Amino acid sequence: MTSYWNDVLAALALYPARPEIEALPLRSTAFATLYGVRLTSLGPYRLFGYLSIPAGVGPFPAIYYPPKYQSVLEIIPQGTANLMRSRYVTFALAGRGQRNADTPYAALFPGLLTDGIDDAASYVFRGIVADSVRGLEFLRSRREVDAARVVLAGNDIALMTAALTTGATHVVTTPTLFYQTAELAPKSHAYPLEEINDYLHLYPARAEAVRRTLAHYDLLGLAPRVTAATLLMAGAPSTLLDGAALRPLATALRGPVTVYESQQSLYKDGLYSERWMAGQCGIADVQSILPEHWRD
Amino acid sequence: MVNDRAEKYRSRVRKPDDFDAFWDHVLRQAAAIPLEAEVVPDPLRTSEDVEVFQVFYTSIDHVRVAAWYCRPARRAERTPAVMVLPGYQMDPPIPKEWARKGYVALSVAPRGKLRSNRQFNPGYPNLLTHNIVDRHTYAYRGFYVDTWRGIDFLLSRAEVESTRIGVTGSSQGGGLTITTAAMRPEVCAASAGAPYLCGFTDAIELTHTYPYEEINDYLRLHPERRAEVEETVAYFDGINFADRISCSIIVNIGLQDNVCPPETGYALFDRIGAADKRLYPYAGHGHDAGRARHSAVADAFFARHLLGREGSL
Repeated sequence: MTSYWNDVLAALALYPARPEIEALPLRSTAFATLYGVRLTSLGPYRLFGYLSIPAGVGPFPAIYYPPKYQSVLEIIPQGTANLMRSRYVTFALAGRGQRNADTPYAALFPGLLTDGIDDAASYVFRGIVADSVRGLEFLRSRREVDAARVVLAGNDIALMTAALTTGATHVVTTPTLFYQTAELAPKSHAYPLEEINDYLHLYPARAEAVRRTLAHYDLLGLAPRVTAATLLMAGAPSTLLDGAALRPLATALRGPVTVYESQQSLYKDGLYSERWMAGQCGIADVQSILPEHWRD
Repeated sequence: MVNDRAEKYRSRVRKPDDFDAFWDHVLRQAAAIPLEAEVVPDPLRTSEDVEVFQVFYTSIDHVRVAAWYCRPARRAERTPAVMVLPGYQMDPPIPKEWARKGYVALSVAPRGKLRSNRQFNPGYPNLLTHNIVDRHTYAYRGFYVDTWRGIDFLLSRAEVESTRIGVTGSSQGGGLTITTAAMRPEVCAASAGAPYLCGFTDAIELTHTYPYEEINDYLRLHPERRAEVEETVAYFDGINFADRISCSIIVNIGLQDNVCPPETGYALFDRIGAADKRLYPYAGHGHDAGRARHSAVADAFFARHLLGREGSL
């Protein structure tokens, strides 16, 4: 695994980011300015992200949203209070294939998870993980960001990024794609893991190649590199990725770990992670940046 | 307490006098366009128990719309159908799970979604405010019709039991469930979760989260256009469609919903014209609207109305 990712990072380092940053008045407010950011990643491939900077004097804590498993790039996650942008720098990145970064490669959903999966060297997530690393590098370069308070929030890619580069002080991760995938996918009919089942149903002879590729991406292998404080968002009890299933991952992480099992309520789960991030970042009045319907 | 406040909320939504005339005209325009349905087998997504197809059909403005179509490998000659409608940001799912429950299932990707974005692609964020000052070209005029044409597709299929068609979705899918149930009398059962696109002008004051925040962004930059915006969205508000619904319908909402405020869910439910309607408000839940508990309710509801099976819920 080490040489695979070292090669990816070395290849990424060959391309300067060359960011272009443009203010977006439509999404700017009295409390935060939004910028569209274009930057280069492995390939070379030009990416797009939304950077929000609070009004006032920084530095500010930052939340980095690495590429999600969906076509749409959000400024901040759906349902997050816009006022959150008054307290954090936020940066949301579209990986290759997502909207705003879909030229020349437009990803399909479902479809992305198995694109090139039978060859680790050409697997699409090799580039997407590099994209995510590039995004964190860019965020860390901003003078508005307090380097002691940088949260990565997302799915597996957030944890992988924290493992592969420096700069993440905190991670909120909801494993979805790359935790014991080869073993767990056959136990599920739900997408995105069902994509693996679909693929192997049509191409059974490629099973060993798929397993080899996935081995490079398994969170369990990358976890010992993560020293950031981590909030591990597990599934509800008795679901595929519940706390018990993720226990080996929690044990393998090097930094302090909090495991939270979903209560199958976006309110309760979301409130927990918002409070955790605010607490870790020293934001005392979290109430003021919660959605209206979540406040006490 | 939250329940009380939300339930007693008074919506500002008012129905334009020419609401029905506007939509009747749109329907006539759509009806003049041949469906030209194309059904393409998808061997990658097909399994022993579910056959999967990619579907394409033509909608208003001659926009080509994509959908996923699933059917149980073992089925009756004519099988009840469920149309699944997508959330605002989600990529339309392949509805295999519905096929596994015994239904033919269609999951529509209205214009602008992946695979339906060659001719129309305002992007996200942006869809909600695309041409929002003009009801004749507002994004959701075509978007709504695209979903209604999904019913035409189902009716065109020999394997579909045309008297047993249901529609379901959550968030934007919930809002589209409302508009589809209102405008397509062929729908005999509907289940709407956390309905979006209901109470536009209420929601932008009740919450400041995306996607509704797109409208606040727009009005902050263009405050002089507020009257035009409010005029347009009144024609697209699910609350104004609701009195046309006559099929059996259930609605579930979360009382801590930070995306689609529960106040708007109550206002919508109050206006639904159907005699057989039931609201499921879930305390302690947000935009999931109690999905984990409610899915069994929805399954039993459709089993009763579409499959003719009495459930215990």
